[in-house]
Amino acid sequence: MLLIVLPNLQEEVVALYSCSRKKYREYHRFFSPLLKQLKRRQIIAPPPINHRNTYLEWNYEAELYSFGKRLGEEFDNELLRQALMQRSYLKKLEEEQKRVGIEVSSNENVDNVCMIPKGEEILQNFTLLYLRHILPRFPEEGIQSIKDHLMSEETLSHVCFHIGASELILCEDFPVEKSTLNSTMKALIFALHESSGLERTSVFIRDFILTQIAELDINDLWNIENPIETLNTICRNEDVDLPEPRIVGDSGVNTILALYRVGLYINKKLIGLGSGESIKIAHEMAASDALRRLFGTAEHQLNIPFNLVLNPKIKSEPNLGVKDWCEKRVQERIKQTLSLNE
Amino acid sequence: MSNKCLLIPSGFPRLPLKNGIGRVVCQLKRITIKFCKSSGSSQGVRNFIELDLLDFTNNNPEVVIYLKPRRHHSPVVISEYLNGERHYMNFHNFTRDNTNKWLNFLRTRVGIKTIRFRKLQHTELPSIQGVWSPFTNKSPELNITSFPNEKFLQPKHLPESATERLRKMFERQKLKESEEMKMNNKSIEVQQ
Repeated sequence: MLLIVLPNLQEEVVALYSCSRKKYREYHRFFSPLLKQLKRRQIIAPPPINHRNTYLEWNYEAELYSFGKRLGEEFDNELLRQALMQRSYLKKLEEEQKRVGIEVSSNENVDNVCMIPKGEEILQNFTLLYLRHILPRFPEEGIQSIKDHLMSEETLSHVCFHIGASELILCEDFPVEKSTLNSTMKALIFALHESSGLERTSVFIRDFILTQIAELDINDLWNIENPIETLNTICRNEDVDLPEPRIVGDSGVNTILALYRVGLYINKKLIGLGSGESIKIAHEMAASDALRRLFGTAEHQLNIPFNLVLNPKIKSEPNLGVKDWCEKRVQERIKQTLSLNE
Repeated sequence: MSNKCLLIPSGFPRLPLKNGIGRVVCQLKRITIKFCKSSGSSQGVRNFIELDLLDFTNNNPEVVIYLKPRRHHSPVVISEYLNGERHYMNFHNFTRDNTNKWLNFLRTRVGIKTIRFRKLQHTELPSIQGVWSPFTNKSPELNITSFPNEKFLQPKHLPESATERLRKMFERQKLKESEEMKMNNKSIEVQQ
């Protein structure tokens, strides 16, 4: 129990003293002051964090082997080592060698610098391909913003840490910085591409990076500046009347907590519903709700599959932009992509 | 729930890295087994190492196992997880079977700290039909009614009163009688 409350204390000491008088259902009188003292010491001088490779039990070879096994991928050992080698580590090594007086051997093509842009390209191509396939109705601007989110430093470093690469990376910074994790993730993708081919790499990207948008509201990732104007543009493309806003309900008007509910209608058919504290805001919300329903990303429509096997060699065409968006062209595009994948 | 639980931090079951949506990754990355080569408390762990360890490593190549013989110490297992947590467990006087079972338990753990679950499930999408609002399931008729209105003044579900029931019974009776009268008239006509 106490181990959980104060996890960083000297565990054995705590375990020893908390158990010693268990049969009397009480602790020693010194136990509470002891804990306080230990806590105080820890705040004044926290114990240093050491890299895992400074421990006695550390076998880099074995760790690399189980790294590949953990992900269920076959890595080429040399390539994997190269992908985990950062330029900063080599520089530090060279400096140390100079200091000692050893001749510095040229270390070109040993670090992962050349792998990063190539890995990034593979990642970007497949991410766009997959997103365009699963969200064929979503405009290209939205697809790009989802891709930016997936390829951001935040997401990639998170993935890289949680597949257990942070301790294996050879770099100078410790604790490992996010930028390092980010670049290593890209290098790892390239290493996998070189060792097992594009097909396996695309499945890897799907399983570890694309799944990061699960449980996420993708409408939050793309902010539509002016939803009313956007909806009007789409209606003009479709050759239908402009949507007519109507107040569907209100509550607490003339109070500080006023609430309006606006519905948008085309030919007496409801296409969007939104509520807000003023009529203008409610109108905007209704427009963005209508857009969501059109793009197939409303809450009840969104069910992203993460088990598709797509051919990564296909060059994906960009989705329709907001300005050209209309139902007819979208259907044409969906037919095209279906025929390409067959 | 015992009193102890009050001190345990609480939370919801969460999986790191959306594990299982894509592919399942074993969250245990390495195990360090410290044991004594001679003392009796390590007997079970030693038996495990002699007889079962190779099977364990063959079945779980994703886990790195380190053995550290330490003289005259209780056997201890330290497991490290992908989310950076370390879990420390004493294996004092464990039999070979116990060791097997507990190692399997450590292997299948997610690696989050021990917490009291507030619920046994968690979702980011609590409702697929939308969040409740004051307008949910309201009749649109309300928008164009002016109040006070006789119809909406009544309670929604008023039970039938005794008078009303009597009235209905009386009407039914009248209907029945009139039908009988008609039938009689018809039969008279046919006879004639």
